[in-house]
Amino acid sequence: MIRLALKDLKLFLKDRRSMLMTFAIPIALISLFAFAFGGVGKGNEETKISMQISDLDNTTLSKDAVNIFTTLKNVDAKVVPIESAQDAIKKGKESNVLVIHKGFADSLSDGGELPLELQYDEAKEIEVGLLQQSLIPKVATIPFSLGNPKAMMASRFEKMTENSSPELKENIQHQSDNLFESLSKGIAENSTTQDPSSAFFGNEVKMTKLVAAKKDNGLGLIQAVAGTAVMMLLFSVVGIGMSLLEEKQEGTLKRLLYAPMNPLKILFGKMISANIISIIQLIVMFLFAALVFGLEINNHVTGLLLTIIATAFACSAFGVFLASFAKTRQQVQGLSTLIILVMSAIGGSMIPIFFMPSLMQKAAVLSVNYWSIQGFFDILWRNLSIFSTTFLSRILVLVLIGVILNSLAVFMFKRNILKMS
Amino acid sequence: MIEIKNLRKSYNGHEALKGISFAIQKGEFYGLLGPNGAGKTTTISIMSSILKPDSGEVIIDGMNLDTHPGQAKQLIGVVPQEIALYGDLTASENLHFWGGLYGVSNSELKKRSEEVLHLFGFYDRRNDNVKTYSGGMKRRINIAAALLHQPKILFMDEPTVGIDPQSRNLIFEVIEKLHKEGMTIVYTTHYMEEAERFCDRIGIIDNGQIIAEGTLKELKSNSALKEVVVVTYDHANESQLKEISAKWPDSNLSENKISFYATDVQSALSGIISGSGQMGADISNIEIQRTNLETIFLSLTGKQLRD
Repeated sequence: MIRLALKDLKLFLKDRRSMLMTFAIPIALISLFAFAFGGVGKGNEETKISMQISDLDNTTLSKDAVNIFTTLKNVDAKVVPIESAQDAIKKGKESNVLVIHKGFADSLSDGGELPLELQYDEAKEIEVGLLQQSLIPKVATIPFSLGNPKAMMASRFEKMTENSSPELKENIQHQSDNLFESLSKGIAENSTTQDPSSAFFGNEVKMTKLVAAKKDNGLGLIQAVAGTAVMMLLFSVVGIGMSLLEEKQEGTLKRLLYAPMNPLKILFGKMISANIISIIQLIVMFLFAALVFGLEINNHVTGLLLTIIATAFACSAFGVFLASFAKTRQQVQGLSTLIILVMSAIGGSMIPIFFMPSLMQKAAVLSVNYWSIQGFFDILWRNLSIFSTTFLSRILVLVLIGVILNSLAVFMFKRNILKMS
Repeated sequence: MIEIKNLRKSYNGHEALKGISFAIQKGEFYGLLGPNGAGKTTTISIMSSILKPDSGEVIIDGMNLDTHPGQAKQLIGVVPQEIALYGDLTASENLHFWGGLYGVSNSELKKRSEEVLHLFGFYDRRNDNVKTYSGGMKRRINIAAALLHQPKILFMDEPTVGIDPQSRNLIFEVIEKLHKEGMTIVYTTHYMEEAERFCDRIGIIDNGQIIAEGTLKELKSNSALKEVVVVTYDHANESQLKEISAKWPDSNLSENKISFYATDVQSALSGIISGSGQMGADISNIEIQRTNLETIFLSLTGKQLRD
């Protein structure tokens, strides 16, 4: 029995593919996910949340407020014109914009409500939630650092006690003055401490969903369908591509070469079948999501089909390229598992990309998954027109990926497969 | 019909073909024999246009294969050594697919498929997946798939490897029928009896060169080999046997047996028997060892064909 076990261990150690699947790939994925979720570099390289600021008031006080917001911890703030900021949110490039409306300086002086509004994309609610944790306490300190806090508090108490007796009003005013002195002192001693006035006076920032969920399409549903569909498509196209190597092993490839046709037609035939199967697979997945989970696709048929076709083209090119690049089925299996899992992890198939560090978000553009998922979000969530440059740019990238991988597949097919046959 | 002119091909410094040349006439059945690694597959691959030679040329029905590969390939049917079929497709589907690659129209394909299905005896199982067939049936479909476009030339690479006698006989019948119908056939095999049975002419290839070529009779007469008559004697003493052996120009005595070497066994036999009788030696057994392709091949290459 021990002899048998030792023999198996010896065989296992000699099998590079098994070693790769057992150790290298899991280690690579653990590292990737740990990095993606912020487990690596914690405390040193914390992820910064991007915040756009549009100053419509354009006064000295509003500019001072902008300067304060740019010092927010863990927030990467930049001043952007309102139109550009809103456009970036609609196109999914940014998650939010803090709008400092006209009258901000007046409100600060009068002690009135600050006309601040955070416009955001509901698709990135988690990211915006994290931003709020930094932003709201800072907003609460603005009257104390820039405005007339005494007048503000007096104004608030006036509103609260407008139906009370004069004696009570006088008493509250007195207590208010005492409270103001305490608060001012507290803020002066430790400006980073959350101010109690934020709890006392409530949220000073109006929250507005610039891109909101439609009645029938849930954000999670789109993420689940698009993310899973692209990842599973990549796995299935690898199988289609691998049939090329099977043909080589079975001898049918050689027999095909005997026929009076250009050998490249064999590869093109594989590409066509891979594309057709990919398109059908994606259509079935979205139809299933529509029928079973109620994903609304009726109003987005053209855009959805365009994205499906472009995704199928890019993914099937990936499968065919991998098959023409590798020399054995085992090589394809090992390589494809690693590449697909990495692309799916960084491209947003497994976790939404805004969870990831900025470096990973930048790396996402290297994956087919990213462009495809963003294309589906453009259509089903952001409701972009199929003629919008944002949507078309994603389709163009997918098509370019397909063209490049198909061209490489042709080159590798001539070099590897035809020689091997 | 086929002209091979000074073909050369090297792989990684190893010269697989060293300038071979031969010609095959229209309707001829040509056997290409050689041990493993001799250059048969390289030659067939170049003749099928899936491999480019370093130099030399192949002329198929007057067309240079290098400059007119499409037209030349249209004339050729290839039966590969491996069973190159799609197991998950039925026999009919396989035949339609492979025939379709040669531009045969659908209606013609239907007609031709039925013909070959009958010819090879699996019409009743035409709608079964090929993977469910026996090895012999797969071999038959493997051949059938090369015939759909009615090629003028058929390359058959070891078409009967590993099959049952019944399938082999059926294949032999089909091969003979195709030959009679005038098809030019190039045949490689390890089975000498097949080569002797079918081939009009045989080319023996070794170390990338054609070392002998001709009809079986020509190969026999060109070889230095003689046929052998081995006579076993009873009740003959050693001096009698020595005397009998000494009278024959080329013989060998071993115990009570004498091996007589002769180019013409028939005429030699009567002399051996009468000579033995004159010496009073009783013959108990006569064994004739004829010159065949196996012995010729062995003498030419120093190897068994199945080596």
